[in-house]
This record gives sequence, structure tokens and C-alpha cells, in this order.
Amino acid sequence: MTDTWPYLDVHQSRTHEPTPYEYRLAATLEQVFAQEGHELADVVRGLNARAVHTADGTPWTEESFRAEMNRLGD
Amino acid sequence: MTLSSTATADRIYATGLRNQWHPVVPSRFVAPGAMRKVTALGEQWLLFRRSDGTLSMLADRCPHRGAPLSLGRHLGDRVACWYHGVEVGTDGTVTSVPGLPGCNLEGKKLVTSLPVREVGGAVLAWFGDEEHPEPAELTLPDPLTDPAVDAFLCYAEWEVPWRYAVENLLDPMHGAFLHHESHTMFAGDTTAKFRIRETDRGYFFEKTDQRGVNFDWVELCRTGVDWVDLSIPYPPSAGPGGPFGIVGMVCPVDEQRSGVFFWRYRRVEDWQRASWRFLYKTLIEERHWEVLEQDRVMLEAMPADADQRENLYQHDLGVVRLRRLYRAEAEAQSSAGA
Repeated sequence: MTDTWPYLDVHQSRTHEPTPYEYRLAATLEQVFAQEGHELADVVRGLNARAVHTADGTPWTEESFRAEMNRLGD
Repeated sequence: MTLSSTATADRIYATGLRNQWHPVVPSRFVAPGAMRKVTALGEQWLLFRRSDGTLSMLADRCPHRGAPLSLGRHLGDRVACWYHGVEVGTDGTVTSVPGLPGCNLEGKKLVTSLPVREVGGAVLAWFGDEEHPEPAELTLPDPLTDPAVDAFLCYAEWEVPWRYAVENLLDPMHGAFLHHESHTMFAGDTTAKFRIRETDRGYFFEKTDQRGVNFDWVELCRTGVDWVDLSIPYPPSAGPGGPFGIVGMVCPVDEQRSGVFFWRYRRVEDWQRASWRFLYKTLIEERHWEVLEQDRVMLEAMPADADQRENLYQHDLGVVRLRRLYRAEAEAQSSAGA
């Protein structure tokens, strides 16, 4: 932890630099929220329609999306 | 020695009001078993954390010859001054004078120790003057204690007098201009009428003819610590949960510098909370930072006599009110010690 003035750090919430997979998922998620809506079913359908799948390449389900958000959001 | 009750009103106005809580630095700035030198209200302090996490805050001044304790050694539950080894406990008591065992400094509480609390990832301290060492009641900002609300703290250090940083928050209209090119404040009228609405903890300064479009209202809350609450709309791409709120606090570092604390919060739960947190960390935090930088660039470029040569208009009622309140309090605090 630096103690030189001034402290100006863009990223204060991250534990790591996002991976390419995380960047792509986040950008697509924003697109889905903007274009498809805010319901969980819309989000899962929107991601799958854009072929942005889970880390192991399978299509999203509501359960797997929820689990992945809990992992990445904490 | 510190925060004298005979300070002039000008000094108090310039370096921060006494006899209230102020934020100091983020909690993570002081790891367990570590200590950190900080400046607040124009004075030098030492934050000292035991390995069990217990935090204390001492005047950064050895009671022997005035050397900074922050240059000394962390001894677990004490700090040893580097100059002559004098040991001071976390409550400010001299526990040992190694050079002269039995010296009459031992056992005396000679170093100011400020009460501290940790809230939402930030250290708050009670800055009482000599007449008011005991802390007054502290009511925490409700968005930081509500379990249905999720918040991230953003902290930054600006070369700006503390009052300018607070005034900026009591001036919602700048959102439609300074932040017009931002991801959240591109909409909203560039003309507006404002009113002040009193509350039992401060006042609202709000537009009379627009809400939920830009930075349309702000509430100043004085609950033992001064903070503002405000709300800013998110675009649909940020997902469910509606607008995000900001709890803002300012640490008066010294006459020229401030630490600004912004908790970005949102009323979200379950997968909506998790997806907002994911987007925030990955993409949104950086965009918020760009908006905050617009404020910093503008405020740091303001001339030193900016508030002496103004021509204010109706949009500045919230700022005028704030200055009157703070000025009156600085006068009262200075005369209380006279």
C-alpha cells in the first residue's frame, strides 16, 4: 500500500485484472441488459443467442448464470 | 497540543470543523500489525492497528521531544519512538522510558488518542477539541447499514480545500454541464429551478421540475458525521436495480487538501446484486472514475480566491446555505474556547 500523496487509483474494487472471458461476458451482458431486458430468463436467452457461453463452452442456464455471477461478483 | 479549542474561526473554517466525526482513510490503508501516518484537520496523526485488527489513532508526536511516532516501531500493542525509544500505548499512555526506567513520564497519558470507528470500509474518527474529547452520538448513513443495499467505496485525494469538495456536492446543476459527456449524466435539462427543503438532519437541495434524469437532488445529512446522499440514473445496460446512489464524505486533510469518500450504492439483491458487482468491477468503476476526475480537474484548477470574488445566482442557494452553516459553526467553536 503506497502512502505517497495523492492516492488516485482507478480500480479499487477489483481483486484481479479481468480475464478476456470476463471482459467479453461483461460487455455482452451490458448489451443484453440494454436490448433484451432485465429479467433473468431474458438475460440467459440473450447471452446464448449471442453465443457467449460459460467458461467451459456450454450454453447458460438460469442456475449456471446465477452461480457464475455469485462467483464473479464477490 | 492538538485541535486547540482556542483556534480562530478562520483556522477552523480552513482546516475542518471540530467536535464531530470525520472520515480519515480507507480501512485497508492500515493492515493488521501495521501503522500509517495520516494528516487530518491540519494535524499529523498515526493510525495503529494491532494484529487482531483493533485500530487506534494517536497524535503523531512523541511526548518526550515531539519526534513523529510514525517513524518508530510497531511493538504489537505499543509504538516505540525511534529517537529515544519512548514507548506509547494505543490509548496514548507512556508505558516505558527505556533510557530512564522509573521516569515520571511512565504511566501518564500524554498523547492525544482519538476515538475511531470503521464504517463501510472507512476509518471515521472523533475530532474533539480539548474541551470535547468525548465523542458525540454517531448515526451512520442508512445506505451503508441497510442489508438490501450494496456499496463500493471509492476514495481519492484532491488538492482542494475541503469546503470546495463539499460545495461541489451541494451544486447538482454542474452535472448537466461538467458531466454532460459521461455515461450517466448525459440527459437532463440545462435550466432548472431549485428549492431548499429542511429535514430533521440537514436539508435537501433539489430541482422543482425534474427528478430521476440527471443529478437532480442532494441531501446534506449531519448525523454526527457530515455526509451527502444523492441519486444518479443508470442506463439500461447497467441492468436491474434502478439508479445508483452516492454517499459522499470529505476528510479535511489540511487547508489545501481533501480526501474524498464516495460509496456508490445500489438497492439490489440476489443475482441482480451479483451481476451489478461483476459489471461494476469489470467496466463501470472505470467510467465512474472518469466522472470523478472531471470534478477533480475542475476543482483543482479553481483559483485560491474563488469564493471571494463570485456572482452567485439561484442555483447556488444550496452552497450559500452550506457556507453560512459551516461559518457559523466555526465562529461558535472558536468563541467557545475564548
